[in-house]
Amino acid sequence: MTGTEFTAWFGKLKLDANGEIEDCDLFDKDPEKLAEIVVELQNNPQSVPLQRADLRDAALECGFVELDEDYDILLRDVCIRAAKSQISQTDTDDSRIIQAVEALDDIDKNVNELSERLFEWYGRYFPELEMTGEGLANFVSAYGSRTNVPEDHAMSEKASQSMGAELLFADEELLRTFANNICSLYDTRRYIENYINTSMGSVAPNLCEVAGASLGARLMSMAGSLEKLAAFPSSTVQVIGANRALFKHLRSRAPSPKHGIIFNNPVIKNAPWWQRGKLARALAAKISLAARTDFYSGELDPTIKEALDKKLESIRQANPNPPEKKPEAKPQKRGGKRKSRGRKKNKKSGGNN
Amino acid sequence: MPVRELSSGIYELDIDDRKMLATKNMIPGMSVYGERLITDDDTEYRQWDPSRSKLGAMVLKNFDIPLESDSIVLYLGAASGTTVSHVSDILTDGLVYAVEFSPRTMRDLIQLCDQRPNIIPILADANKPQSYAQIVEKADVIFQDVAQPNQAEIAAINSKYFLEEQGHLMLSIKSRSIDTVASPKKIFKEEVRKLESGFDIEFEVLERKELDPFHEDHLGLVAQMFVDDEE
Ligand SMILES: C[S@@+](CC[C@H](N)C(=O)[O-])C[C@H]1O[C@@H](n2cnc3c(N)ncnc32)[C@H](O)[C@@H]1O
Repeated sequence: MTGTEFTAWFGKLKLDANGEIEDCDLFDKDPEKLAEIVVELQNNPQSVPLQRADLRDAALECGFVELDEDYDILLRDVCIRAAKSQISQTDTDDSRIIQAVEALDDIDKNVNELSERLFEWYGRYFPELEMTGEGLANFVSAYGSRTNVPEDHAMSEKASQSMGAELLFADEELLRTFANNICSLYDTRRYIENYINTSMGSVAPNLCEVAGASLGARLMSMAGSLEKLAAFPSSTVQVIGANRALFKHLRSRAPSPKHGIIFNNPVIKNAPWWQRGKLARALAAKISLAARTDFYSGELDPTIKEALDKKLESIRQANPNPPEKKPEAKPQKRGGKRKSRGRKKNKKSGGNN
Repeated sequence: MPVRELSSGIYELDIDDRKMLATKNMIPGMSVYGERLITDDDTEYRQWDPSRSKLGAMVLKNFDIPLESDSIVLYLGAASGTTVSHVSDILTDGLVYAVEFSPRTMRDLIQLCDQRPNIIPILADANKPQSYAQIVEKADVIFQDVAQPNQAEIAAINSKYFLEEQGHLMLSIKSRSIDTVASPKKIFKEEVRKLESGFDIEFEVLERKELDPFHEDHLGLVAQMFVDDEE
């Protein structure tokens, strides 16, 4: 009949075989320190005897507090501190990159909408100007009314002959301000991209090397964290981003989709169609390995990328020609290349050369 | 205004011929999630929306609610505290330990804890009761709403560690988090069977009812832990 030890938030308890307290060694009554102890115990759980004195009774019995209320007040204080410190620790390196990736998507969505508005709006005053996006925003921000376009500018002739309406001063100021904002969103976008590129190199060097900074970051974001990405089997990595199809597959055992975001990697996108599936599988396998290496060791292991390149090359060598039979229902559409910003779907257009 | 106490600390107000579920607001003037505040004779009530709370739905489904003003409650799956805030209202002399494992959600819950003296926040996984055993005392009631496939196991191990003898377990079982294809009825039956005999502690299921129309494919359940009388 030996007793057990159990650490409560207020002290170390020695319990006899019936769970009654034999001895207690109380901690300092400092909420900050107690919170640290609570977090520490939470991260390294102890084995908990089922037969144990009730914590509140024990605290009163050992004289840690005198009143029930004091127990409540102190415990609440300690637990709020502990939870707050745990939350602040969740601001990890990969979570920062994920926020940046998501900010990038938000900017894209907004900048597209604002650019379209500028196109419509400014189009009234200079419909012949065939500019969109950042070019248009820069143009409007620089010149405002087309009457300000300098003579040596490529658009100067179009500007002087334009059928557009006259731009009043108040509207011109408004348009320029609006355009300035769009320009600064494009700047922010580049800034974030840079941030992702540099942080990926230190946070997930292997993923960065194998998948590229931007795709690697995006995979982490879609998985939820580097840890989760590292836990995925490579067959899942291959289809991350094929969301609707993927969820359907997980839910109802529908056939698994083949086209995740890793198909945006040039290695696959620029390959002839009959090689893509195999290349994607090889890439996914190495991405998976890279994510695991990053999560567990954090050191760059150049052999991953070397092995990948070798593997890709051997797939290309082994499949130089299209198979005899084309896969069923391959769309015959050609050309009609549309700018498909924001569209996730990966049409197999072009590519067969 | 007619006010009826349905269960300890839980009220039904009659407002313009409409019945409304509510609790007495512990922090007058504060609405937690945009719910209506109603004052009657110096008492402020907070509307309790049963379609946003499994516990609220259980009240309206006429469950016997085992909560008293001085109960100690372990609440698993607290989320941002919609329901926890009403439990906090009910437990005027009690305490609720609110366990939630999503840090993002816990951020909101902590704001609630900052205002209310009787909620103890715990950021932890309910699958690992050892990780919060240094904090949680014996509870009169365990309320669980975690929407996980192993809901029954989670309830059982937490009861084993923390439930008082003859304490009550209140469970919301979401069939779709267990199996998305099988029929809810079948799933509920299996979960009840597990609770009654699948673990090394046993429960007597006191009441079970589906929570529609407030929550589709959810079963509400109240059970009491069996005490072996070995002696
Ligand atoms: C349906 S919501 C609960 C809603 C809440 N009971 C209410 O009525 O306001 C389920 C919550 O349980 C949490 N959860 C799921 N699994 C958990 C686990 N293993 N441990 C702790 N919390 C968990 C989820 O993060 C989510 O916030």
